[in-house]
Amino acid sequence: MMGNREKRTYVVTSNPIVRQKRGTRDIMLDVIIALIPTMAFGVYNFGVPALTVILVAMVSSAFFEWAYRKLLHKSNTLGDCSALVTGAILAMALPPSSPWWMVVIGSFFAIVFVKQLYGGLGKNFLNPALAGRAFLTASYAGHMTNWVIPRTLTAGFAADATTMATPLAYLYSGEAMPEYYSRIDMMLGHLPGSIGEVCTIAILLGGAYLLIRKVITWHIPVSFIGTVAVLCLIFGHEGYGRIDWMGYNIFAGGLIFGAFFMANDYSCSPVVPEGQIIYGIGCGIITVLIRYFGSYPEGVTYAILVMNLCTWAIDKLTKRYQFGVSKEDIKAMKQAKKEAKKAAKEEGGAA
Amino acid sequence: MPFKFRGGIHPDYAKTAKDSPVRAIAPPEYVVQPMIQHIGIPNQPQVKVGDIVKMGQVIGYEDAPISAPIHASVSGKVIAVERRRHMLGDMVMSVVIENDFQDTPCEDMQPLTPEQLKDPDAIIARIREAGVVGMGGAMFPTAFKIAGARGKVDTVIINGAECEPYLCGDHRTMLEYPEELLKGIELVKIAHGLDKINYGIEVNKQDAIDLLRSLNPEKYGIEIVPEEVKYPQGAEKMQVKANTNREVKPGGLPSGVGANVVSTYTAYSIYRACYLGKPLIERVVTVGGDCIKEAQNLLVRFGTPLYHIFAEAGGFCKEPERICMGGPLMGICVADDGAGLVKGAAGLLVFSSDENQEIEDPVCIRCGNCVMHCPMNLEPVYMYMYIKKGDLQKMDEYHVMDCFECGSCSYGCPAKLPLTHTFKYGKAMLNAKRAEEKAKALALKQKLQAKEA
Repeated sequence: MMGNREKRTYVVTSNPIVRQKRGTRDIMLDVIIALIPTMAFGVYNFGVPALTVILVAMVSSAFFEWAYRKLLHKSNTLGDCSALVTGAILAMALPPSSPWWMVVIGSFFAIVFVKQLYGGLGKNFLNPALAGRAFLTASYAGHMTNWVIPRTLTAGFAADATTMATPLAYLYSGEAMPEYYSRIDMMLGHLPGSIGEVCTIAILLGGAYLLIRKVITWHIPVSFIGTVAVLCLIFGHEGYGRIDWMGYNIFAGGLIFGAFFMANDYSCSPVVPEGQIIYGIGCGIITVLIRYFGSYPEGVTYAILVMNLCTWAIDKLTKRYQFGVSKEDIKAMKQAKKEAKKAAKEEGGAA
Repeated sequence: MPFKFRGGIHPDYAKTAKDSPVRAIAPPEYVVQPMIQHIGIPNQPQVKVGDIVKMGQVIGYEDAPISAPIHASVSGKVIAVERRRHMLGDMVMSVVIENDFQDTPCEDMQPLTPEQLKDPDAIIARIREAGVVGMGGAMFPTAFKIAGARGKVDTVIINGAECEPYLCGDHRTMLEYPEELLKGIELVKIAHGLDKINYGIEVNKQDAIDLLRSLNPEKYGIEIVPEEVKYPQGAEKMQVKANTNREVKPGGLPSGVGANVVSTYTAYSIYRACYLGKPLIERVVTVGGDCIKEAQNLLVRFGTPLYHIFAEAGGFCKEPERICMGGPLMGICVADDGAGLVKGAAGLLVFSSDENQEIEDPVCIRCGNCVMHCPMNLEPVYMYMYIKKGDLQKMDEYHVMDCFECGSCSYGCPAKLPLTHTFKYGKAMLNAKRAEEKAKALALKQKLQAKEA
């Protein structure tokens, strides 16, 4: 009976006993997959230098992640692939002509200073790739604003030129947009600019993949791009039609790439959907402010970095009421708080 | 259309047993029947070693209202009255009966008369006498629940969501005993003194909904409510929301918003107790998981040692690592396969290490999935952080006490954080602190009173 029964020992864990199979690494790989169209177009548009930048950024980011954790005797976190994502996004935000050593410095700053020194994955309060780009822009302004002529754009400028101004520069100075920047070119990415921010179609393809795979939700990209669109439509600009001005502002820069791939960085964006909308709107407002009044033509990087810093405050602001708390309850709670304050004040006055 | 709740998850339902008819397994050589198979006061053993008991005879009883008696599930000789391992982990006073395989019935309980079947008091008394508890897993004494809600509620919902993966016992009961089930639900309705009752069923059981509708449920005063397929639809609060759009207040009970929830198998057990005069001695258990070759629904007597159930189900096809009582999301791990089956076990799932996704040193990536999935509108990411820090005040501010441990956050967490586990711990910490404060306040009050005197 009981004696000849095989005695087994069983493990006890908390519920739930089963979990979804998808892990952190799958999410990171999804981001890399979503970046493939953008990367491929960047390489096609700008040639071998772009490929070099992408490879150097990804490899050096992974190396710094590994080396930092090794030197400090911490667990090896290469397996979660988050360093590769940082490297890839940093590369997308750099000009294709960036020298390799500058890319390595950017990776070093992003991985070591922004990410690992604050505890690694999930603990950084700034988007590492963006902070790396901002650091490089401050340190090597020349290299960071050196826009080579893309292969897909051949007409309309001096034959011996090697670099040219981006559409954003025209928007910033308020000059009329040259004819060779047609609307269709803006969508297809026949533009000079950072490797990953030129081809809107490729970026949207990747963004759609992220949305379908539920890596991101619609809240941040829609509120970010929407805010920029609405503000540009309202304020317009001399010499441009309102719709034209809005279109150029949306498609001619890092906005779409930033809204889908950078502003969504989990560790430095709010967790509550309402907060994500506030965050997106904030990103949009700051972008437009910088583009209108700042000393840089591009505002997306700094807008996202500033809003990264507001994330915790936004999360506190949008703290949710639990299930079962009705609108009347919230009103009553607020009323009670007000009265308590009033009573305290009166008491203080009387004393 | 039923009302929807926020959050929730769509797990892999794996309801492979839904087409397998309920099969009664061979009774075991002996049964281990613990004296606690409900929430409340433990029963006192009513038999001693050497006694001969009949099937259905009361072997555990306690007078307190929040309790439910235990009946012998086999006939035979009592061979031990001692502490044995309970499925839930504790050592609990249990009665062990050696089976004589005669199934000599006990005639103590008779079917109710037609007049009694119309009398709420008689029905409630019978539910109590038959030892019926919440069969969905909560094991709350049903008679006490109904008596407490009677006259205070305007809506009663029979819970047929069966939103947990793997489990199919309720689904099979609907398909195989539809008339009996409807009669049982009618009894619940009468016991509450109402003329209408809701039966909420998730629409993934369309065949059952069609069958029950074809049997004219209006005749019994039953309205079938097809519900959205989403875990945790079967949670009490979600059922009330789906059926009435009322939200149970934080820390409150469904009766606070005029509703009461009774599960499907409980209603079926009530039918058996009232119409057939059978005490609660067996139930349908879905046996499944990746270690069981073919998931199936077995009719098992209470007290049957788990290893006997697994042997009857065809043994293991993989090395088992964990046994789960109930569904895989809210279920509880069982440490010993020698424990006897208890009333609340709707499922017995055996998983190998392949299904174990727990990892060492998980790192939160702040993806916000837990916030999106929480049906209680909580923010698990912050709750987890503050519990890790031991910050009791912040834990309370982030409403840790409102978590009902459904496991949705952990299920959807890509970083595999032990969220649900941590919240259980946090709730225990807060409860301990509150108890301590209460004791302190009481001591202070007594001191003051003593001074005044």
